[in-house]
Amino acid sequence: MYLYNFIIENKELFKIIYALIIGLICMIIVIKSHKLFHLSLHKGIRYFRNAFFFYGIAFVIRYFFGTGFLYDYTGLNYQIAVGILFEYFLIMAGFFLLYSLLWKKIESSESEYLTSLFNSKIIVFYAMAAVIVFLDYIWQTYYFMFFSQIVLFAFASVLSYINYKKNGKQHKFLKFYFIAMILNLIAWSLNALAALYFNWHHGFLINIYILNIIIFLLFLYGVIKVTNI
Amino acid sequence: MARKRERLDVIKDILKAIMKNRQIKPTRLLYASNLSPQMFKVYINELISKKFIRLDINEKDKKTFSLTKKGQEFLQEYKVIENFIENFGL
Repeated sequence: MYLYNFIIENKELFKIIYALIIGLICMIIVIKSHKLFHLSLHKGIRYFRNAFFFYGIAFVIRYFFGTGFLYDYTGLNYQIAVGILFEYFLIMAGFFLLYSLLWKKIESSESEYLTSLFNSKIIVFYAMAAVIVFLDYIWQTYYFMFFSQIVLFAFASVLSYINYKKNGKQHKFLKFYFIAMILNLIAWSLNALAALYFNWHHGFLINIYILNIIIFLLFLYGVIKVTNI
Repeated sequence: MARKRERLDVIKDILKAIMKNRQIKPTRLLYASNLSPQMFKVYINELISKKFIRLDINEKDKKTFSLTKKGQEFLQEYKVIENFIENFGL
């Protein structure tokens, strides 16, 4: 209880630490996966890398540039811009993560694009993310984002479970990947509950932040373990 | 039934064949790659454009392929790349 109170009293400082931890984890994942993509030109690795690139940007924007320390020096427009950008990058990151599991069913490994950040398939996700952010902005909620991410991670959990059942014996990290997807689904569901029923209760949110760090550490563990053989 | 070779497997097979011979003639590489001439051309053009392999032409106009530093790096990292793709279901 004392620890929770300590965190709540110094929440702006802890937000920065939180942003730096997740930002650093994402940066390591992006650098490691980019090296493999650069050599293999494999599209799945490319979309996976993009997902963590967007996650890193989203968390740094929200919890570093959006910290209360800066609010004294910035106007309302700045705070709104931070909220919109955070939501947009976070939704896009989720889409990229899901698409890294799905791309083989949608496009061929031979088809080439100038950039993975902006091609004819990905543009659909940009449009969907823009619509979700717009709806949330109009209604002044996060419900559209929560709902979209819950659906997305439910789907991603099913896909990663199928991968685990198919190849889990040979490739041990598929089990952790499935667990990470389930934890993501839980984290998004808890976020929705915090908004709907707990009025953004600080103690409740701290648990979600801790869960988020565990999820990102799980991904980092997988990337380091697999790339350092 | 045998599994269809993935794009990465084909690239690995071509690069391994070149590495084994240090320098290899196009016809020998075509046989070693086990591809149709059309697909072989597609892969070779891609590997040259991505600087994985180099086409050398000598004074007698004889053509041979050799591995670049990037191609050698790819072969060393291939196992890691394969593991990454399979462990993350990508």
